[in-house]
Amino acid sequence: MRFPSRKVFMKDWMVTSLFLLLSLVLVGYFVYVCIGWNVIVSLSDWKGLTPSYNIAGFDQYLSLFHDQVFLTSLKNNLILILLFVPGSLFLGLFLAILLDLKVRGEGAFRSIYLLPFALSFVITATLWAWMYNLDVGVINTLLEKIGLGFLRPMWVADPNIAMYCVVLALIWQFSGYTMLIFLGGIRSIPESQIRAAEVDGASGFDLYRYVVIPQLKAPALSAFIVLMVFALKAFDFIYILTGGGPGWSTYVLALMMFKETFRKNQFAYGGAIATILFLLALVIVVPYLYLSFRREKE
Amino acid sequence: MNKTVLYVAVAVIITALICSATVWYVMRPAPADVLEIYHWWTSGGEKDAIDALVDVFADDYPDTGVIQSPVAGGAGYVMKAVMKSLVLAGEAPDAFQMHAGYEGQPYFEGKYLEPISDLWQEEGWKPVIPDVVEDMVKFDGEYYAVPVNIHRVNVVWYNKHVLDDNGVDPATLTTWDAFFDACDTLVTAGIAHPIALGDIGKWTDTHVLEQIIAGEGIDFYEDWVNGQVTSATDPKLVSALNTFATYLGYVNVDHVTLTWDEAIARVITGDAAFSVMGDWANGEFYKAGKVYDTDYGTIPTPGTGVMYGLCIDCFQHPKGVKHPENSLRWLKVVGSKEGQDAFNPIKGSISARTDSDTTKYGPYQAAAIADFTAATYMYPSVAHGSGAPEAFTAELDDIMSAFVTDKDVSAAASALTAATNAASDDYIKVWDLD
Repeated sequence: MRFPSRKVFMKDWMVTSLFLLLSLVLVGYFVYVCIGWNVIVSLSDWKGLTPSYNIAGFDQYLSLFHDQVFLTSLKNNLILILLFVPGSLFLGLFLAILLDLKVRGEGAFRSIYLLPFALSFVITATLWAWMYNLDVGVINTLLEKIGLGFLRPMWVADPNIAMYCVVLALIWQFSGYTMLIFLGGIRSIPESQIRAAEVDGASGFDLYRYVVIPQLKAPALSAFIVLMVFALKAFDFIYILTGGGPGWSTYVLALMMFKETFRKNQFAYGGAIATILFLLALVIVVPYLYLSFRREKE
Repeated sequence: MNKTVLYVAVAVIITALICSATVWYVMRPAPADVLEIYHWWTSGGEKDAIDALVDVFADDYPDTGVIQSPVAGGAGYVMKAVMKSLVLAGEAPDAFQMHAGYEGQPYFEGKYLEPISDLWQEEGWKPVIPDVVEDMVKFDGEYYAVPVNIHRVNVVWYNKHVLDDNGVDPATLTTWDAFFDACDTLVTAGIAHPIALGDIGKWTDTHVLEQIIAGEGIDFYEDWVNGQVTSATDPKLVSALNTFATYLGYVNVDHVTLTWDEAIARVITGDAAFSVMGDWANGEFYKAGKVYDTDYGTIPTPGTGVMYGLCIDCFQHPKGVKHPENSLRWLKVVGSKEGQDAFNPIKGSISARTDSDTTKYGPYQAAAIADFTAATYMYPSVAHGSGAPEAFTAELDDIMSAFVTDKDVSAAASALTAATNAASDDYIKVWDLD
């Protein structure tokens, strides 16, 4: 390969930067400057609707860790990460494999599974509120019909299990999306490999266990990142379904940030929560960026 | 320099110019004579009401265009956040809907509002608007807003057929003891949960507690909204919470998954006999084709017979708006008898003025107007943003949401007083209710 001459290189560079300039400026301001501004707000003593940039240090962060609501919210975000993310991944993978078994009417099933993801969170949250209804909700009615009426869980009305009800509903909503990603991944595996494995005697579970699933790393990783980020920024679904209740039992960081900032006018405190959310997101996204960067180099 | 680079550079500059021209065109300052208002009245009846008010404005000022910017979202929770961002950014509209009282505090303290005491003087509103209502739009002795309506919060809605069939006379339910006795009668008659509650948005719990606290007496309510109830063992506070705990014993178990209007629907169908809700609930009965005093009726919540609990929307005159003159004109229309009597009959509320034309109102509202003019005491609602600082009210919603699940009186009392103490700096108003 011949290296481009200096002149050609300069030309390329100038054209590229011209095109990049606009988006760099916009993203720079609306993303990076705003993140920096938020960090400054979180270190200030801003309370009420009058901006104040007197640096008060890490006071807000210190009081956060003594705030029971914050700890509950953090715990609930962790529950989302630990249950909702793997739950959606496994259910999605399971559905994708089922669909891959050349069932009849695959297209119809695919749409049915994907439909929840296409609906707005406001709609699905309202729907789940009805389903979780203790008296007339479809879940308790079904339980009664099959003779398990004595169970009659309180669902979202019980602070001890409310968060798990939220997780269940979110898994339902997101599994269609992960299914689609996994199905795409399965379909991109060359037919010849499957055939070869079959000739070697692999079938059923083994075929998926040793041939298909190992090749789904890339789609799994991208679905994982989307789910993780959602687990951190979850807001609308929970806001509508439980509003963080009963009590504080289903509060998550985004919900708490909204309440502190816009209902209680504690801008510095809200900023501190936002900064912590941002750091958590970084912890997830940076390794992903590093991984995909390394893969690109390979 | 290479020609291609030059061409590309020129192309980029031209594109940038076109883009900025388009952006400027879309976002250019509006033509001079308009009025822009924000509100959260988006549902059918509410929209008709604000349109009627805008029509009155259009009749008075035919040359002025009115831009309504409605923001949907239950009880304005969405718009309140939007508004704070807009005002902070210096983009306040000419007037926006807000609840009277403490909801105006952050705007007042941030000096975003212009005092309008002169306007109140010129328009002669003081004599026709009750003192407590006036007080709700004042900070530091100056007027800052104009009330557009009054909703009553201390209302028990009942299904008349259910009560008649079981021999319960609603007029006798003036104390919580009598009320709970009636509930017992209904339970015996087979109505397992005579009180309907739907607290999916949490504020309905606060709403009920507030009326129970008012039932403890206007003096206690005054202390409460003045931030004076700071002891978790305060006998009246404990008594109110105990009453609420008893109340919850008669409430449908699925309240956490219902909205307030779904709870009202149970009263309409007769599955429940009572529901405590503000008088916007009247619209639900109206939509279901029910007739006031025949199918359903109302009583004040027990203990508040001579009181009128106030939920008030108002508009104000923000500083530095684009059309200050139109903003003041709008406020004149909002406070006028004509404007109020156009808006309120459709909205389901009553006029904030005591001289309203009662013939324009429906049967429930006519009764409410009679109560309003005869009321001995009025009190600002806490659940609806007026009575207490926002920092306290936001906590209160969560505390009550926990309480309706665990019914732990002492925990709720401690949390309530702790929230009052935490917000102590924010109690800038001194309510005088008696």
